[in-house]
Amino acid sequence: MIRHLITLMWNRRRANGLLLAEIFLAFVVLFIVGSVGLYNYRNYRAPLGFGYENVWQINLDAGTQPRPEQYATLQTILRQLRATPGVVGVARTSSNTPFSFSTNNIYLETEQNGVKRTVEPVNIYYASPELSGVMGLELRAGRWFDRRDEAATRPSVVINEQLRDELFGPGGLAVGKRIGNKDREWQVVGVSGSYRAGGELSEPQPGMFVHVSSEDTSRAASRLLLAVKPGSGAELEKKLSADIRSAGPTWISNITTLPDQRQTQLKAGLVLPVLLGVVCLFLLINVGLGLFGVLWLNISRRRGEIGVRRAMGATAGGISGQVLGEILVITTFGLALGLLVAVQFPLLGVQNVRPDIYFTAMLLAAGTLYLLATVCALYPSRLAAGIQPAVALREE
Amino acid sequence: MTNLFASATDSPQPAAAPVAGPGRAVLQLTGIEKVYQTRTIETVALNHVNLTIHQGEFVSVMGPSGCGKSTLLSIMGLLDEPTSGTLELDGRPVQSYSDKELARLRNHKIGFVFQSYHLINDLSVLDNVELPLLYRAGVGGKERRQRAYAALEKVGLGARTGHFPSQLSGGQRQRVAIARALAGEPEIILADEPTGNLDSVMGEEIMDLLLTLNREQGTTIVMVTHDEQQALKTQRLIRFFDGSQVS
Ligand SMILES: Nc1ncnc2c1ncn2[C@@H]1O[C@H](COP(=O)(O)OP(=O)(O)OP(=O)(O)O)[C@@H](O)[C@H]1O
Ligand SMILES: [Mg+2]
Repeated sequence: MIRHLITLMWNRRRANGLLLAEIFLAFVVLFIVGSVGLYNYRNYRAPLGFGYENVWQINLDAGTQPRPEQYATLQTILRQLRATPGVVGVARTSSNTPFSFSTNNIYLETEQNGVKRTVEPVNIYYASPELSGVMGLELRAGRWFDRRDEAATRPSVVINEQLRDELFGPGGLAVGKRIGNKDREWQVVGVSGSYRAGGELSEPQPGMFVHVSSEDTSRAASRLLLAVKPGSGAELEKKLSADIRSAGPTWISNITTLPDQRQTQLKAGLVLPVLLGVVCLFLLINVGLGLFGVLWLNISRRRGEIGVRRAMGATAGGISGQVLGEILVITTFGLALGLLVAVQFPLLGVQNVRPDIYFTAMLLAAGTLYLLATVCALYPSRLAAGIQPAVALREE
Repeated sequence: MTNLFASATDSPQPAAAPVAGPGRAVLQLTGIEKVYQTRTIETVALNHVNLTIHQGEFVSVMGPSGCGKSTLLSIMGLLDEPTSGTLELDGRPVQSYSDKELARLRNHKIGFVFQSYHLINDLSVLDNVELPLLYRAGVGGKERRQRAYAALEKVGLGARTGHFPSQLSGGQRQRVAIARALAGEPEIILADEPTGNLDSVMGEEIMDLLLTLNREQGTTIVMVTHDEQQALKTQRLIRFFDGSQVS
């Protein structure tokens, strides 16, 4: 019977061409949108590698204060913040804080078995020793920054596991190794878990924390990340900005919470996937209506054929099965064409997305279209099954 | 392949000489009435028809246009339901059959040749002829093909199997429709003017084919015809006028 349906659909290829094209295009679009969706969803589900619930960010700007005086003021501010009830910890960091839309990349050079290789981009985060506590970072190997790093000849770094895997192979030994490029060199003292400062929709990327001394003056005014007691609110915020203003009258501070920043970033990141999703939904509705319409039309055009088949011994169920079978055959051909296109994505490694995302998206897109075709064929197939053979045969 | 028509063409069959007397009743119509109700008028296509078709009989039905011959055939072929009256197939009232059983009966027992052929335009000649076997469980693709071929050979269309109905003449289409009815080797053939579109030579050949089938395989045949000559070759002639049997 399947062969019969395939033959029939082949013979009707002119009439079915449009339907086929529609399914083909729908599949390709669904596949692409599905890949984007899955990519984002996978990332969303992956651990961020840090806690943000009770973390605030303060952006400091020394304003018109002469540079030599800035360091002393910053130290006063830091001391005051640390002493404030409700503040659990204060860390200094660079501007690429979590959910900040800001990135800072370098490249690293490595040599494996005599072959030179460049790893890039590598996110670089400047961090004072307190950052680990404030953000609740996970340590995989070695240690986090401490007093020993103040006197180190080479700046100490903690690299994340993605960078370790890139440089030293999956799970390789990194602690104690030197890393760098032609300008700079660092000493690896520890390995952290992944750190997705890019937010929940970002892919885990190689990154490294570079030790910033508490005494550091070069980056005097930058970003602070504060761990606060759970439940802290506007009152604490007001006090903190008042304290900063009294320590340095020219200083401008801007306090935000990481949960707020996360929301903002998530919303921005979701615009494209949601938009694509909506477009996709409309596309599906359109394709569904198209399928439904064509099937309906086909049935009224092919009443004679249905009558003949009934006369030759087809049951009512057989007729509805045929209607469903036909559309599934067409869907299968459309999907087969679509798969030829879709398969190029993982084969060519488009966007460096893991191939399993593409394969899952193919399955999802195919499943959706099969389901859609089935749903659209349900009513027309029942309609066809209800056709009385004598009536249908007389009409021709 | 032996020529099935050879003996029949030169010596017409005696009108009533069944090989083994009238068998049991395969089709029994009792008080069959068919009324078509349209908005303006009511047409009585069949008016209290009582008729028995015995196994192995070759019956011809004649009557003026519009007297209800096609309607009669489609009721006997289980394609239409009578407005009132009972139709018994093999002694069992048809109303008692389920849709599935009816489909099975149409498939196994009955071969229908429609007045207007009703070939499926999207299928090749061969695929059209295979159709009854397609709906029969246990018949494989190869056997289907072979039997369809054989049926097409019988109607002289062995060379046209790959054609589509639109590429055939009216007469050729009619022969495909006949081959399709033969392919399933049914017990009963209901043929609605099977030679209506054939020239006299071809008409003769088809007629002889049906006669041979009736004689050699005991196929019960009910044939609507406008050709007195053909009707005379069958065992029984039923005349219809205005929905009623007149002889
Ligand atoms: N679906 C229908 N609706 C209304 N009237 C119908 C319908 N089908 C058939 N009739 C009427 O029933 C009568 C019998 O029709 P039928 O087709 O059985 O005639 P027929 O004897 O086969 O004629 P012909 O020799 O021209 O084929 C006709 O008067 C026809 O108009
Ligand atoms: Mg008729």
